[in-house]
Amino acid sequence: MITKTAWKNVWRNKIRSLVVIASVTVGIFAGVFAVGVMNGAVDQRVDEVLDNEVSHIQITHPDFRSNNDLACNLENVSTLKERISGLEKVEAVCDRLFVVGMANTARKSVGVNIIGINPEEEKEIFGLYKELEPGTGDYFADPDREELSYIGFDLAKTLNIIRYQVNDEIIEELRSEELPEDILAGISEFTGERFDNERSFKKAMRSVLTAKQESEYGRLILEKAQTFRERAKFTLTFVNSNNHQTGGVFRVGGIYNIPNSMFESNQVFIQDRILRRLIEFPENTAHQIVIRLTDVDDTRTMTKKLRSDFPELEVLNWKQIQPDMAMMSDFAGVMYGFFMVIILAALAFGIVNTMLMVVLERTKELGMLTAIGMNKKKVFRMIMTESVFLSLTGGVAGMVVSWIIIKVTSARGINFGSMQEGLEAMGFSSYIYPDIGIDFFMIVTILIIITGILSSVYPALKALKLDPAEALRTE
Amino acid sequence: MKVLELFNVHKVYNTTHVEVHAVNDVCLEFEEGEFAAIVGPSGSGKTTLLNMIGGLDMPTEGRILVNSTDLSTLKSSAIIDFRMRNIGFVFQSYNLIPVLTAKENIEFIMNLQKWPRKKRDKRTMELLKAVGLEDRVDSRPAQLSGGQQQRVAVARALASKPRFVLADEPTANLDTKSTENLLDIMEKLNREENITFIFSTHDARVVKKARRVITLEDGKVVSDEIRE
Repeated sequence: MITKTAWKNVWRNKIRSLVVIASVTVGIFAGVFAVGVMNGAVDQRVDEVLDNEVSHIQITHPDFRSNNDLACNLENVSTLKERISGLEKVEAVCDRLFVVGMANTARKSVGVNIIGINPEEEKEIFGLYKELEPGTGDYFADPDREELSYIGFDLAKTLNIIRYQVNDEIIEELRSEELPEDILAGISEFTGERFDNERSFKKAMRSVLTAKQESEYGRLILEKAQTFRERAKFTLTFVNSNNHQTGGVFRVGGIYNIPNSMFESNQVFIQDRILRRLIEFPENTAHQIVIRLTDVDDTRTMTKKLRSDFPELEVLNWKQIQPDMAMMSDFAGVMYGFFMVIILAALAFGIVNTMLMVVLERTKELGMLTAIGMNKKKVFRMIMTESVFLSLTGGVAGMVVSWIIIKVTSARGINFGSMQEGLEAMGFSSYIYPDIGIDFFMIVTILIIITGILSSVYPALKALKLDPAEALRTE
Repeated sequence: MKVLELFNVHKVYNTTHVEVHAVNDVCLEFEEGEFAAIVGPSGSGKTTLLNMIGGLDMPTEGRILVNSTDLSTLKSSAIIDFRMRNIGFVFQSYNLIPVLTAKENIEFIMNLQKWPRKKRDKRTMELLKAVGLEDRVDSRPAQLSGGQQQRVAVARALASKPRFVLADEPTANLDTKSTENLLDIMEKLNREENITFIFSTHDARVVKKARRVITLEDGKVVSDEIRE
């Protein structure tokens, strides 16, 4: 009966209750949706790290990671791989060679990590081959073409492999994107002209576009104007195992484009047998063994097992290799909870205010209830239940709305194009697909109930202090 | 059988250093089944006396025994529980819970006492019938007239079969017809259920129906007349 009365009391002053419910709805929606976006971004970043950059577990010589010495390599790699592949929970294993060197074109030189891979084995572990920029190559489709390499988009830009050119076809494409005619007329002025780098193209754009036009349409024009020098040549130079300077001429066999610009700008992939030959390394050796597990949740236990199986080697999982990501992933839940607590704390003031009004308005009724025998515990419970109903109604509405919006946006993604450079510098994609687990909704529900309870404490205590005889005299 | 005894009850209010004797040395006894009216002019101490009898207020001096239990010996939480089980209240302005129906208002106290549903339903329907509102079961207070609301309040006061019912000016807001109707119902319930009714009133119609009339003046009992 107390619960039923409390629920009916919520609707006694419909407008006031609806205002409070609406504020809770908006607050919860904003909080849950923002958490959905943050969680989506973090999940995408973690997936990116696992799928393209690190995978689940890596094994190296104990000294390799600290000094990058070529001599710190693993021996009997095929036996090692065979033993690891035979373990339960291991999905795939590959090995890699690593050399630090320089990538050079006629105009630019840049320091890079040169990674020797077996492209077919690599596909079992990493999804980087799927990130191939269309029209830039075919990711080692022909293994006999030893000079081919797979480089990142940012490195291609740095080495001036990506150029910029506007032609009639691009103008038409931009017209279909509904660019204003005066902008199209402006950029048509440099039709046919070729720009070797992004900077010179931007300079040309600025001569025909206003600052506002550039900030609004500059990125789209830049993307459309990009052209690739097919099979562009560049050299890789490095020191071999005998400390002799060596290197080779390579061609771009594909450009990968991922949200992490740092990774893109310094990781060059070539076939391992070429690198092995150039650094004069014996067969059956490698610098790194990379392991993909069937389930990422087994990472901790498998790391422990591999450490005990190979005590002479360094076994690190992705959380140890990328501690920043691990921290982000591990503390994300705490951060989201904290975020929701702040929102709910702000909403609690509104609920407290409403419940104080309720107690003030119902002084006589509360006096009557005490007079006829409703004890303090039950009066407290009735006010508390009403407060919980008030907050929970708004909370559930807010969660339903945010769930719908998250479902819709998670299918299409949200484009944070204006923040692309900043996001990619931190390794995040500018297209974020919001995502939130059902467990988070359960946590939010519990937090809403706690907020309702806490918000009712002060008003309920005020109600308990009422003297029934005096309260009954109230008009 | 005595249901209520008052021994030398005093109530003194201390307002800005002036002592006001709201109730002054009142000694009374009530037997089971009485239908008594406490009358007197405004400020004579009627409501204060009823509040003390109902345990809503405590005497400054003296003792009040309900069913031989001294109310001053009970803790505040025990007094609330004691009220729930022994005393029914009817208020001048009905004081029904506006969001509940007539049936739910009557059931409320039985719910507090955790009566089983069947027993609760039976008692509620009995009372609704007794107060002539069996066709207004699902009506909310706002859908009832003043007289009907007060009849629901009487039914609520009787719901848990208390030892006695205290009614503070129950007819003050009612017209003549509703007053007569209500008094007839209360008298009938008093006879049928043998429940003691104690009214505070200055309504001559109520006084006429009462079988005992206690007159208060300046907090003192000036007459106690028992009629046959």
